[in-house]
This record gives sequence, C-alpha cells and structure tokens, in this order.
Amino acid sequence: MKIESTNKVKKGLAEMLKGGVIMDVVNAEQAKIAEKAGAVAVMALERIPADIRADGGVARMSSVGVIQEVMDSVSIPVMAKARIGHFVEAQILDSLGIDFIDESEVLTPADEINHINKQNFKAPFVCGATGLGEATRRIAEGASMIRTKGEAGTGNVVEAVRHMRTITNELNEVIACDENEIVALSKKFRAPLNVLEEIKEQNKLPVVNFAAGGIATPADAALMMQLGCDGVFVGSGIFKSGDPAERAEAIVIATTNYNDPKVLSEVSKDLGEPMVGINIDTLSEEEKLAKRGW
Amino acid sequence: MKVGILSFQGSFLDHSKSILELGHESLLIKQSKDLTSVDALILPGGESTAMKKINQFSNLLTDIDQLIKDGIPTLTTCAGTILLAKEVIGGEVTIPNIDIEVTRNAYGRQTESFEGSVKFFENEDIYCFIRAPKISKIFSDTVNVIAQHNDEVVGVVQKNVVSLTFHPELNNDEYYLNWLNDFIREGKNVRSF
Repeated sequence: MKIESTNKVKKGLAEMLKGGVIMDVVNAEQAKIAEKAGAVAVMALERIPADIRADGGVARMSSVGVIQEVMDSVSIPVMAKARIGHFVEAQILDSLGIDFIDESEVLTPADEINHINKQNFKAPFVCGATGLGEATRRIAEGASMIRTKGEAGTGNVVEAVRHMRTITNELNEVIACDENEIVALSKKFRAPLNVLEEIKEQNKLPVVNFAAGGIATPADAALMMQLGCDGVFVGSGIFKSGDPAERAEAIVIATTNYNDPKVLSEVSKDLGEPMVGINIDTLSEEEKLAKRGW
Repeated sequence: MKVGILSFQGSFLDHSKSILELGHESLLIKQSKDLTSVDALILPGGESTAMKKINQFSNLLTDIDQLIKDGIPTLTTCAGTILLAKEVIGGEVTIPNIDIEVTRNAYGRQTESFEGSVKFFENEDIYCFIRAPKISKIFSDTVNVIAQHNDEVVGVVQKNVVSLTFHPELNNDEYYLNWLNDFIREGKNVRSF
C-alpha cells in the first residue's frame, strides 16, 4: 500500500529541514550557489523582498519560467510563493510539482478575508505568523510549517524577534493553563480550540516553526535559533550582501552551531558588507508587510 | 547507554525523542568535541548536501567514519544512508561504509513522497518516505536485506551498520523501539561479523 501527500508526509518534510537555512534565489545561478553553500531548500522568486519593497506595485507569484529554471538546477527542495488567498496561484505551483508553497505576505494579498484552504493540495504549505492566534489559524487551514513574518526585505531582525517572543509566550500560556481556561484562551488568541488542545497534549506547536523576515547576519540566525526557532529563512540578506556565497555558508554554519559563540565569531570574520538595513520606525503602516494576512 | 546523534541538521530531535523514550542518554553531536564515549550512533534524515557542507567546518564525519569502522552500532535513515553509501547516483560519496548504491530523490519530488507499507524484519507497518532515496544496487553478499516496501529494498544491514530509506523515528511504534533498544544494547543483529 502507498498513499501520497498525507499530512504526516507533508509535516515530515518540514521535520527534515529543521536546523537548516532556506534561501531566496531569483535564478539557477543563485540556486546553485545556495545549494553549494549548504541551504536545505531554496525559495524561487522573480524578485527578492528588498526589491519588491523598492519597486512597489503589485507583487504576484513568480513566473513559471523562473520557478522551473530553479527546480531544474538543484537537487534540494524548491519552494515558491503564492499570494494570500490566491488559491489558483497555489494550484499552478502544485501542478508544477513544487516541494513547498509559501502563502506569503511578501506578495500583495489577493483576498482580504480568506487564506487558502491548504488541505486540498499535494504540496505542503508554510505560512507567516506574528503570534499564536495567526499560527494556529494557519495550522487549522492545513499549513504544515509556520514561520515568523518578521519584516521582509529590511535586513532588520527586530520584528522577527518580536513575533518569535510573542509566539513563545502565548504558547507557554497555553501549555501552562488549567483545562478550564483553554476555551477562554481560544477566544483571547482567536485560536481554533482543536489546535490549542493539540498544543496542550504535545507541549509544543504541532508543526515546525522557522524564523523569517529581516535576518541578515550569522548572529541574526543564531539569535533566532537561541530564541527557539527550528531553522531560518534568509531572503534579501544573502544576495543583497557583498559576498553572497561566503555569507550564505557562514549563516548555515551559524544556524547549526547557534549555541557556540566561538564558532559564531569565527564565521562572522571577513564577511564583507551586509545588506543595507531599514529602520522599521521609518516605514509607514502601509509599507509594513507583516500587517498583511488575517 | 549513550547514543550520539549527528545533529548538523534534519530530524535529529525526532531520533533523540526515540532514544529518551527508551531510557537512554541522547547526545546531539555537532562537532568532534561532542563525540566522547558514545555506545551507538544515529545519522538522521535531512538534506545530505547541506550536511556535507556543514561537515567542512569541523570535519566531524572523519571521526564518525572511524567509530563506524571500529564497529560501533550505527543506524542511518534517508540522508544518513546517502552519507554512508559506497556509490551515490545524483549526489556525492561521503564516508562509504556500506556496500550499496543509492539513488537520491529516486521517487521524485515532495508531491511523490508517501506513506507506504514496509516489512521491517518480521513486522509490517506503515512508514513515511520523504523525497526518499532508493537502494539501487547491493555490491556484497555480506549486505542483508531487512526491510522491503512491495518488492523494493528499503533497509539493509552490513556488519554494524543498519541503513534505511524510510523514517521509523516519525512513528516510534513499539516494534521499532524494541528493535532499536536491542540494537543499541547489544549490537544484536550486527556484532555477528
């Protein structure tokens, strides 16, 4: 007997990515650099978040050509982004045989009320979250993996830290709560009760949770790992820096050895220029990508 | 008993959970200095290309290679099996310790990943195959088949090494845990060489 694309197989791929780094790439050449540097997966994009931010306008699913070029160039899993609520973009990605779909706030949302019903797809989904309510709603919709939203394309880790701390604190509140409190917590966090019950049973989030949005240095990656993330997405931080291959490798080593300051100082040497950062305070509310999603 | 689990990346925490459930001590090994007095080793699933790269920093796999050659009971799953294979199609040979050829991502991409029935020694159960490799050739009579999915070989033993292409650590069923316990305690099924 053989059944494809079960929930266990979808969540299982996320388990295999744990402790690793997933890198944004825009073509085959970058994908190969990422694979060689030790990425566990790549995210195929037409433009990286920093450029999406700079260009403005509507950001959509990347062209099928770019995605296929990346899929054909590497042996590691390839992810691609669909707009929030745009289930047809997700259907197209699924039919391409993509390994993971990111329903992402980095693209312009296509639906202001609904996220995609992720149960109906062969490929697993990863979704962004700023707190436990958002994370559990996405899990109830069928997400097999969660990531912090952070603030993509800024090279500023502060929002990712905020989101991870929020998720952890709210998670601890659920784990520690008396069984009579769980319904009230479900209302407080707007979190589906069945997912909260699952959390209480397992004493953890039922899916893998990665850091994303603003990670630019090996120290940023190690910080997010020490805060309890299972792995790291690096978007603009690598290919907007002075020496992408070197930086990519350093972030991979730092993510594995996140608890060893000696190793962290060694890999942080001679890395060249990091990407230029943006202070979150200078962004208007409309410019904050993390506000997208419901 | 102390079980060292290669923890560069991948499902090392799932294996650690199995070891703790059995009442053994689990050591997450990232650098050579972590590798002190272990009684058994596990090389988990993940991405073999990433593990190989992370290894370049500390060269931990050279020490692991020596321990395996010394005869320590070693279990590998999925990417771990690729690291120990003598020949690799679609990837690189790393520390060859088992006389098999494996083909990476042999079933296809994630959309072809599946749960399938596996006969593992005397027991039949359903296990996950995630972008799994296939054991495409066996080069030696001393390699014995211990697990099959339909007609495919999905698990072998040679001397002290047991190599699987599926993920028993995501199930932790009673049969697997009992087998694992024997394997760690006595090197049973493996020390017969």
